[in-house]
Amino acid sequence: MTVGYYCHWVLFEHEGVFVHSSTDAVEDQDLLISGYLRVLDKDGETVVEYKPLEDTVDPSNMLCACKDSSSVVEWTQCPSDRSHHVVDQQQQSCETEWDMVNTVSFKRKPYANGEGTSYHTHEKNCWAFSFTAADLRTVTVKTEGWTHLIFCLKDDTTLPTIHFHQGGCKEFMDCLQRCVHLTECPRDKTTFLVSCHNKTLSQSFENLLDDSNYGLVHKLKKDPYVATLGGFSKVTNYIFDAFRGPELEQREMPAEEEVAADILGEIIPGLEINQLEEPGFEVITRVDLGSRPEVQRGEPLSLADWLKYQDKEGRVRKVPELKERIFKGGLCHVVRREAWKFLLGYYTWNSTSEERKSLQRRKTDEYFRMKLQWKSVSEEQERRNSRLRDYKSLIEKDVNRTDRTNKFYEGLENPGLILLHDILMTYCMYDFDLGYVQGMSDLLSPILYVMENEVDAFWCFVNFMDEMHENFEEKMQGMRTQLIQLSTLLRLLDLAFWNYLEAQDSGYLYFCFRWLLIRFKRELHFQDVLRLWEVMWTGLPCQNFHLLVCCAILDSEKQKIMDRHYGFNEILKHINELSMKLDIEEILHKSEAICLQIKNCKDLPCSVSEILGLKAACDKSTLELSDYGILTPPLHTSGELVSNGHGQLSETSSNGYKVAFIS
Amino acid sequence: MASKSSLLKVILLGDGGVGKSSLMNRYVTNKFDTHLFHTIGVEFLNKDLEVDGHMVTMQIWDTAGQERFRSLRTPFYRGSDCCLLTFSVDDSQSFHNLGNWKKEFIYYADVKEPESFPFVVLGNKVDVTERQVSSEEAKQWCLENGNYSYYETSAKDSTNVASAFEEAVRRVLAMEERGEHLIPTDTVNLHRKPRSGASCC
Ligand SMILES: Nc1nc2c(ncn2[C@@H]2O[C@H](COP(=O)(O)OP(=O)(O)OP(=O)(O)O)[C@@H](O)[C@H]2O)c(=O)[nH]1
Ligand SMILES: [Mg+2]
Repeated sequence: MTVGYYCHWVLFEHEGVFVHSSTDAVEDQDLLISGYLRVLDKDGETVVEYKPLEDTVDPSNMLCACKDSSSVVEWTQCPSDRSHHVVDQQQQSCETEWDMVNTVSFKRKPYANGEGTSYHTHEKNCWAFSFTAADLRTVTVKTEGWTHLIFCLKDDTTLPTIHFHQGGCKEFMDCLQRCVHLTECPRDKTTFLVSCHNKTLSQSFENLLDDSNYGLVHKLKKDPYVATLGGFSKVTNYIFDAFRGPELEQREMPAEEEVAADILGEIIPGLEINQLEEPGFEVITRVDLGSRPEVQRGEPLSLADWLKYQDKEGRVRKVPELKERIFKGGLCHVVRREAWKFLLGYYTWNSTSEERKSLQRRKTDEYFRMKLQWKSVSEEQERRNSRLRDYKSLIEKDVNRTDRTNKFYEGLENPGLILLHDILMTYCMYDFDLGYVQGMSDLLSPILYVMENEVDAFWCFVNFMDEMHENFEEKMQGMRTQLIQLSTLLRLLDLAFWNYLEAQDSGYLYFCFRWLLIRFKRELHFQDVLRLWEVMWTGLPCQNFHLLVCCAILDSEKQKIMDRHYGFNEILKHINELSMKLDIEEILHKSEAICLQIKNCKDLPCSVSEILGLKAACDKSTLELSDYGILTPPLHTSGELVSNGHGQLSETSSNGYKVAFIS
Repeated sequence: MASKSSLLKVILLGDGGVGKSSLMNRYVTNKFDTHLFHTIGVEFLNKDLEVDGHMVTMQIWDTAGQERFRSLRTPFYRGSDCCLLTFSVDDSQSFHNLGNWKKEFIYYADVKEPESFPFVVLGNKVDVTERQVSSEEAKQWCLENGNYSYYETSAKDSTNVASAFEEAVRRVLAMEERGEHLIPTDTVNLHRKPRSGASCC
């Protein structure tokens, strides 16, 4: 039986897929054959196979599934949604809208005991089938309580209907879509015509999105630029690898490939980068960015200069110019306490000193009212309020582990620590839904250090948190969005480096997580954090400037990373170890230069302009799917690509990579 | 079969503040830093050591304990050879959460045979006098959950730290000797339930 080792990519696998053995019989009497459905990549060829399990269906299992309604998820087609996506459909005719509903409506009478056991393995094997995707003519998707699929091959064979009693149909279809082109049949909405698209391209998509959660459809819909470019660059990875020679193959190839795919697997479905407008369907091979201009930075704004910007009533004038100066040089420390309140939006620029005083009075009252709320919670009450208790215990733990080498927070019983604690507790009262999440103490610490005042620090923190809120929410949407945006920018700026990262399974840039979550707070010396933040808060020279700061830092490290052939782990380690070794002025120089470079670029991809807020309206001319053809596919055959990949993989001893050895 | 990898991936899991980072630092750098930040993201350190004549490089992964960061930390579970479930003896909640940590690990690490996977349990901060979890309770839990080794450690005064990490290595080596662990670590295999038979129809 064993015919040596075959290397196959398993693109999809799902158990709990059923064939009903006697389709003509009364429904209740037909026998369910449970099996697993797989999509494999065998030397570049996509193969769909279905195999019954060794054991016959265990009815008790199915009843279990019935009872636990939450765990049984079925997908139904939702044609009413279709009209919404006319544009999308034109671009991706393969797209299907699926809506997830919880159904548990499959009811099967457990068959008589003897029946199951009398069923021989031999007989069951006759239900197994396998075909290459190229031979597939149509797939029909029907939903009646659960979803079932009918495959019809080009030679007119209709395979046994397979039933997804335990979900997985959508994932299967997603996977299939990556391998072949599906077009809805004009006469029958439930049937899809299959055609094979460009092999190399589909190969690249598979690699990009080889996690079944990943949902190409979604990704394409939400950010076609990312999806397509990512796909294409994957192709170039292989060329790149081929050039790199054999030493690459010996390196460790970690299991974490899926890692970030998992993080992002969750990311993509809910992701809404371009909430307002769907960007056009862009295919960008390489944008010529032009040279990076030199930039000059200035001196920090002195107190005398700061005061010059205020009129007699205390209104701040010439705000754009002032912001420009702050952007260019930052602030002298004495100015910070006042200026930060404006930059953070606690004070409005055109308020008078009088107005600000009264605002402060009101805000002080408000603050202490909220502070009293948690202060007056009795132990008894606390015992019954687990969320408050949890927030409190986390805050206590974290306050003791935040900037303890800073004079303001060092030692025991330092008043700075108590303030940090109290403000964070009060913030929980201000926003109980969010409460306290790790990382927030890092964001507060510099603000409190500058304000040296509990109330002002609190309100400035509130404003900063408004900006950072999404990063800390349950789904960490902000982090997801930022990682994708950063990836988009990096690809534009340095495709070769991004390709390298991709090849090291690091294209998701998870190693920038800490940078983004707390805005470089842990990466820079405390004083440099103050500088960076005030520069960022000017909102200049573009939106999401902090992402360009990431690009600038990575730009300085890329050579090292690539020359030393760092892999997944080493990249993570290298980036983590940059902490406290970065030079803020150099970074700000470079970030601004990158921004100018991008602004000077004429044919900037829409998605990039949108991230940086560069153009009000984006040219929405769209390209058809066929425009993929612009790309010249690499000379490799996909078969070579695959075996190349496998050669690498089989040599490594690391864990759980996305390859199965089937014997 | 395959030549044994000398790189062992060990992951520290447990509630925020139980001392995971402190344990890792104590073990790798022999320092206890009271100014340590709480962990954001994922970090790891390598340490070379010899256990019973085997040279190994232990790669110790440390993550953030807060619930919210689950989606960031769980992807790194894959490929772990051993999991150090950590609680703090002065925090009963962290002890009660051990079961959840174990579950989370097994789920995301895609452990093939949870019953035989090497877990080691660490009760940290034994230098603290106000204990909320007794040794007996902890040992009982270990016994009931799969007969795990249990170590009472202190990252602060270094008690048992090295022994605990070495035990982790021993457990992994023992697994490999029995040959049960070879598939998940030494070859690559994605299947939850490997099956045989490639050709069909
Ligand atoms: N007394 C005592 N304190 C300890 C010990 N180990 C750690 N601590 C302290 O406990 C606190 C938490 O330690 P960490 O190592 O940061 O805990 P962690 O598990 O890494 O926490 P997260 O990073 O938030 O998940 C710190 O203030 C440490 O100084 C110990 O053995 N004894
Ligand atoms: Mg830690």
